[in-house]
Amino acid sequence: MAREIQNGEYELGAHRTLLQEFWRNFRRNRLSLIGGIIVLFYAVLAVFAPLIAPYDPIEQFDAPRGMRNPMPPLSRDVDGRLFLLGTDKFGRDILSRAIYGTRTLLQVAVGSISIAMLIGVTMGAVAGYKAGTWVDELLMRAVDIMLSFPSLVLAIALVGAFGIGKIRVGPFTVSNIVKIMLVIAITYSPRFARVMRAVVLQEMAKDYVAAARISGASGVRILVAEILPNTIPPIIVQASLMMATTVLTTSSLSFLGLGLQPPRPSLGLMLNEARDYLFWGAWWYAVVPGGLITLAILGFNLLGDGLRDALDPRQARRRR
Amino acid sequence: MIVFLSKRLLLAIPTLLVASFLIFSLVHIAPGDPIQVMLGDFQDPELIARLRHEMGLDLPLLQQYFHWLGNIVRGDLGISITVQRGASVTDLILQRFAVTVELAFFSLIIALLIAIPTGIISALRQNKLSDHLSRIIALLGVSIPNFFLGILLILFVGVYLRKPWGAGGYVPLSRGLLKNLAHMFLPAVALGTAYAAIIMRMMRSAMLDAMSQDFVRTARAMGIAPADIVRRDIVKNALIPVVTVIGNSIGYLLGGSIVTETVFRLPGMGNLVIMGVFRRDFPVIQAVVLIIVVVRIAVNLIVDLTYGFLDPRIRYGGER
Amino acid sequence: MSGLLDVEGLVTRFYTEEGVVKAVDGNSFRLEEDEALGVVGESGSGKTVTALSIMRLIEAPGRIEAGRILFRGEDLLKKSEREMRRIRGKDLSMVFQDSLSSLNPTLTVGAQIARVLKHHTRLSRRARWRRAVELLAAVGIPEPAKRASHYPHQLSGGMRQRALIAMAISCNPKLLILDEPTTALDVTIEAQIFELIGELKEEFGMGVFLITHDLSVVASFCSRVIIMYAGKIVEEAGVHELYAHPLHPYTRGLLRSIPPLEGGEARLQSIPGEVPDLINLPPGCNFSPRCALADERCWQVEPELSGITPGHRAACWRAERPAMAGGGHD
Repeated sequence: MAREIQNGEYELGAHRTLLQEFWRNFRRNRLSLIGGIIVLFYAVLAVFAPLIAPYDPIEQFDAPRGMRNPMPPLSRDVDGRLFLLGTDKFGRDILSRAIYGTRTLLQVAVGSISIAMLIGVTMGAVAGYKAGTWVDELLMRAVDIMLSFPSLVLAIALVGAFGIGKIRVGPFTVSNIVKIMLVIAITYSPRFARVMRAVVLQEMAKDYVAAARISGASGVRILVAEILPNTIPPIIVQASLMMATTVLTTSSLSFLGLGLQPPRPSLGLMLNEARDYLFWGAWWYAVVPGGLITLAILGFNLLGDGLRDALDPRQARRRR
Repeated sequence: MIVFLSKRLLLAIPTLLVASFLIFSLVHIAPGDPIQVMLGDFQDPELIARLRHEMGLDLPLLQQYFHWLGNIVRGDLGISITVQRGASVTDLILQRFAVTVELAFFSLIIALLIAIPTGIISALRQNKLSDHLSRIIALLGVSIPNFFLGILLILFVGVYLRKPWGAGGYVPLSRGLLKNLAHMFLPAVALGTAYAAIIMRMMRSAMLDAMSQDFVRTARAMGIAPADIVRRDIVKNALIPVVTVIGNSIGYLLGGSIVTETVFRLPGMGNLVIMGVFRRDFPVIQAVVLIIVVVRIAVNLIVDLTYGFLDPRIRYGGER
Repeated sequence: MSGLLDVEGLVTRFYTEEGVVKAVDGNSFRLEEDEALGVVGESGSGKTVTALSIMRLIEAPGRIEAGRILFRGEDLLKKSEREMRRIRGKDLSMVFQDSLSSLNPTLTVGAQIARVLKHHTRLSRRARWRRAVELLAAVGIPEPAKRASHYPHQLSGGMRQRALIAMAISCNPKLLILDEPTTALDVTIEAQIFELIGELKEEFGMGVFLITHDLSVVASFCSRVIIMYAGKIVEEAGVHELYAHPLHPYTRGLLRSIPPLEGGEARLQSIPGEVPDLINLPPGCNFSPRCALADERCWQVEPELSGITPGHRAACWRAERPAMAGGGHD
C-alpha cells in the first residue's frame, strides 16, 4: 500500500524549494532544535569566555583556616571571594577554568575539523573526479589504511611520533595546540575524503555536469563551479557529526595527558586531576568538566542528526 | 563462500602490510634523530651508537622495515628503551595483553546483552514510552565520554556506596575469578556503554527497516504468529547489518580501552602505550599500535565470516 | 443468499502528514464461490488497498473506516486479530507481486512453506516438510525435494513466484487473492503461471481475486471484471459484456490501449492526463479532468455506481442506457 501513497507525497513535495523543505524538516524535529541551542550556548561561552569567567583561570586562591583546596561549590577563600563551583587542587576557580577549558576545547575542535575538511575534501574531490584511475585507487587505498586504525589509537600514535608539547621542525616551532589540531585533522580527514568522493561521484552522474562538459568547460572549472557547490550540504552534515567525535577525541587525549598541557585550562586534564581527589569526595572537580564535555557532544550529535535528517527526509522517516 | 572469504583475506594482507609500514615509519616522522629524541637528556654517544645498530637504524629504510617485520613475524617485538630498559617488548605486552582483552571482551558482552534486546523492544514498541526512553538513554550513552562515565561510576559505587570493587585497580585471576570479574565490571560498563548505545540504535533502525519489508507482510498474510514473525523474519534479517556495525566499531573498544585503563588504573596495553608515549619509547608504541591494528583487521575478517553465516545470499553467492 | 465474499461500502483511508488519502472510497462488490474476479486499474487506483483491507493487513497510518467484508457470511471486520490469524493463510490467502522481496531471504523456500503449515495444521515436522515438497511439485517446480532447501535468491523469478503460490495454497484456501502475480516475469512465464493458477483453481475449487493492470490477462482468466479509478469502482461487468459494451469512458480508454486479442504486453498509460491526487480529489466525477466527454454535471456531481443493464454497473453520467440509445451525445 505504501507504494501507492508515495506517488501522492512526491507530487506535493515537488512544489517547495529545497531550502524550505530543509528548514521545515529541521524545525519539525524538536531534538535538533535543542541541539542547535546547546551548540549556540557553547559558542557564546567560548567567544565571551573572558567576560563570563569570574576569575583568572590560572590564579590560585588560598583556602580559609580549617579548609583545604579543592573546596566544594559555594565556598569562599580567605578574602571572602565566592567560588560558585568550587576550586581545584591548586585553589583555582573551577568555573573559570571550565569556561576557559571549553573555549580551548572548541578552538581545537573547530580548528582540527577545518583542517581535516580541507585535506579530506581535496582528496575526495580529486579521487571522485578521477574515479577509476590510479589516482583514485591510490587515494582511496590510503584512506582505507588510515581507517584501519581506530581513530584514538592513530591520534595517540601520532602524538607518540611528534612528542608531547610543542615541537621544533628545523627553524620553526609548532605550538602544542596547533600540533594537536594537526594530529586530529590527520586522523579524521579520511572520513571527509570518503563522503566527498561519494558525493562528487553522485553529482558527476547528473545531467548538468554532462551539459557543462558538452559546452566545453574545462575539468577543473566543472569541478569548482558546478560540482563543489552541491557538495556543501553533505559535507556540513558530516562536519557537524564529526564535531561530536572530535570533541571526544580531543578531551580523551587531554585526559590521558597527551593533549593540552598545564597550566592551560583543559576540561580533559581537569578530569584527570580530579581522579586523585575522588575519595576526598571532590565530585565537583570531575562533574563540572565532565558534564560540559558530555553536553557539548550531545549538542553536536543532536544538531548533526537533525541536519542529516532534514537533508534526507525519506531516510529520516525510517530512523524515527 | 570460500571465494568470498579468500577475497577478504587477500584484501586484508596489503592493508596490513601498508599499515605496518606506517607504524614502522612513526619513528621517522619524528623530527630529529629518533635515538636522541628517545633518550632525552641521557645522551651517551656510545649508547646511541649501540642502540642505533641494535635497532638497525644504520640500514636503509626499506631494509630496516623488513628487518623489523621479520622479527615481528618471529614473535620479537623489539627491546624497550625507556619504559623498562632492556626488557623485551613482547614480554611487556604479554604481561598486559590479557587485561586489555578481558576488558574489551567483557564490555562487548555487556554491550550486546543490553543493546540487542533493547533495540528489538524499542523497534517493536516504536514511538511508545519505552521506545522514547531507551532512545534518550542511548543518546546520552553515545554522548558521555567513557572516562567521565568511569569516574562517575567510581564516585557512585566506590566513594558513595563504599564497595571495594568500585574503586578501580586490578585483581589478577589468580586471586579468584569472582574478585577479578567484580573489579572488571565497572570498567567494562564504562567502556561498553557508548558501544551498547551505538549498537542499540543500529539494531532499532535495522529492525524498523526489516519490519517494512514485503516478506513480513507475506508472513502476516499467511497467518504466521507475531512471535514467529519477529524471530525469523524481522530479527534474523535485522541482525545482518548490525553484525557489520558490531565489527566495525570494535576499533572503538580497542581505542577506548586505553582511556578506560587509565581511569581505573588497570595494567593493560593502554597503560603501556601511554607510558611509551610519555617516555618516547618507540618500540613499545609501535608494538602496541601494531597489535591493535592487527586485532582489528582480524576481527573484521571474523565479522565477514559471521556475515556469510547470517546471510545466505553471501554464503551461496548471488546478486548482493 | 451471499457469495463467497461480499464487500459492502468499504472505506479505507491513510492519515498521512500531507493529508487524508482516500485510497478506497465506499466500494461494494461480490465474489461467488469458484469465481475468478478481475480487478483492473492504474497504480494508485486502490486495487492493492482493497485486497489488503480484505486481508485486514492495513497498517498505520491506514485505517478501514467503514463497511462490511463478509467472507463466507461472516464479517471479517468484526473478527479479532487472533481470529484473523487463523483465517489468513488458511481460508483466505494472498500472493504478492514481487517474489524476491516477498520471500524471506534468510529462510529456505521449504522452510517458509512448512512454517505456514505449522501454524494451520497439526502435521509433524517431517510431514510438514514432505507436504512442502509436494506443494512445490504441485506448482510445477522441477526437483522439488532439492529446491525446497534452496534460498529464494537461488531460484529464478518464475520459480520464486511458483514457490510463493505454493505457500499461499498450502492450506487449500477458499479464496486466493493475487496481486499482480506476474509483473516481474516475462510473457511466456506469465502464461505458464496463469495456466497453473487456472489448474489449481479447478483442483481446489477456490475463488480467485486477481489484481492486475493488464486487461488482456483478465480476458483470458476471469469471468467478471471490476474497473477501479482513484479509489472507486467505476464499472463492473462480465468479461464478455465489458469487452463488447464498455460503458465508462475510462474503461473504453483502457480497452483502446490494448491490441485486439493475441496482444503482448499492454500498458494502460495511454490515456492522457494523470491519476488525481487522492488527498485532493476533484469535485464531481474523479475521472472528469481526463474525460473527453465530461460536461458541467460531471465536474460538479459525482455519479453513483448503478446498474445499467442486468449484471453491468457503471458510475458515469454519460453511460448510455440501451433504452436511451440514440438520444445521446456520441
